[in-house]
Amino acid sequence: MTAASLIVARKEIVDHLRDRRSLLSAMAYALMGPGVVLLVSFSPKARTESNPAVMLGMMSVFALVSAFTGGMNVAIDVMSGERERHSLLPLLMTPVRRRDVVIGKWIAATVFALAALAVNVAGLIAVLALRAPASLTAQAPALAAWVMLGLVPLALLAAALEILVAGFSRTMKEAGTSLMLVMFVPMFIGMFLVFFPVKPGIWTVVPVVGQQIVIDAGMRGASAPLSYVMALAAVTVLCAFAPLAAAERMLGRDAAASRAV
Amino acid sequence: MIEVEGLRKRYGSVTAVDGVSFAAPDGRITGLLGANGAGKTTTIGMICGVVTPDAGSVRIDGVTAPIEMRRRIGALHDHKGLYMRLTARENIRYFGQLHGLSGAELEGRVQTVVSRLGLNAVADRQTAGFSQGERMKVALARALVHDPRTLLLDEPTNGLDIPTVRAFRQLLSDLRAQGTCIVLSSHVLEDVSAVCDDLVIIARGRVVAAGSQQEICRRAGAGSLEDAFMRLTTCEEVSS
Repeated sequence: MTAASLIVARKEIVDHLRDRRSLLSAMAYALMGPGVVLLVSFSPKARTESNPAVMLGMMSVFALVSAFTGGMNVAIDVMSGERERHSLLPLLMTPVRRRDVVIGKWIAATVFALAALAVNVAGLIAVLALRAPASLTAQAPALAAWVMLGLVPLALLAAALEILVAGFSRTMKEAGTSLMLVMFVPMFIGMFLVFFPVKPGIWTVVPVVGQQIVIDAGMRGASAPLSYVMALAAVTVLCAFAPLAAAERMLGRDAAASRAV
Repeated sequence: MIEVEGLRKRYGSVTAVDGVSFAAPDGRITGLLGANGAGKTTTIGMICGVVTPDAGSVRIDGVTAPIEMRRRIGALHDHKGLYMRLTARENIRYFGQLHGLSGAELEGRVQTVVSRLGLNAVADRQTAGFSQGERMKVALARALVHDPRTLLLDEPTNGLDIPTVRAFRQLLSDLRAQGTCIVLSSHVLEDVSAVCDDLVIIARGRVVAAGSQQEICRRAGAGSLEDAFMRLTTCEEVSS
């Protein structure tokens, strides 16, 4: 990380904080999970023995997805938005390396992804406190810790993937459509694992799958081995560098400059 | 000084630039004149180091490394590319920072260009509601904030009203007097005719004529730049 990448990141954060519609949208996505779980908790069917299991299963999927949704609008704005408003070419004409440009934008997207994740987790804890049995409420801080531990590295990877996908999109609309498809990956994996749980093992170090296993285990009070969690975090963060490197190459290509004109 | 030698660039089966060579000295305004699609913007892109030539070279003040060339130039494009949620001052400051300025030096340079371009009244407003002229001024201030010795302007007067164009031309004259090397790419004959010392006419990716306005008219056997331009861009090459 260099001073140039921090300059880019700071600008993108300040710029995006002024986009109230986007912030509201991200906030709504972050709180969608807690909201749905809260509604489900009022259902008569949910007031059965399986109530905590249903609630926890849903929470884990929504938490997983929130790691992806928080940085999505920022990634679209800083990559395809930059191209669409014709500000990419002036940026590429400065003496800043493409790598610093990409890293700066990734940092900005990650900051918003982490903020959305924090809002999501806070919402889930609030729902637990309001609607879950006392035994589960007591576990809330531990659950929050497991969720954050599992999902912080995933937010870094999600932001990197979103930067890459948005970078290859010609318009913000195209980027939005593509990224909505990307959102289905964690949603599908999360839902699949809720219904067909996998015990901690080698799958724990596979990004997205591993996070769902870790969160699910944490929520059920049977935490995954810390060594697996650390390995998962390392693998996930390392995986983030591949899309960032691809985005850097994309910005370095003539097509990026000519499409930016 | 910009020295361009034998630049070539193809995009698939289309040859965008085909052996363009010219020199733009310091303290002069060199006009890059050509119809839409002639290869001007691709040439500017290669001079700026954002488009890699298939062949040929660009040298700015003796430097050939793209990142070093970008350090020495200020560039303004047809699409101004401002950040609408940032104020004019923040837009200018951001580019100053990207050029390595910081602290009091940065703020001093930002204020200098804001004052020089008459942006004081709008400097702290978000650029979203700016007129075309105000956007051009902010984009130009952004290009000048690091005090570059070389200025590249691609279709700078598109959409501007007459007073803004006149003020812009006066600014270019002032910068030329200070020794700045200016390359102005345009398809607007009035612009190049009014401010340029030297002209490079490009057609189908090739230089078809280069020299002063009078020299080009004489060689083309035309009474006006417009006639010369039409003859040169629709006929064979006239060597400089």
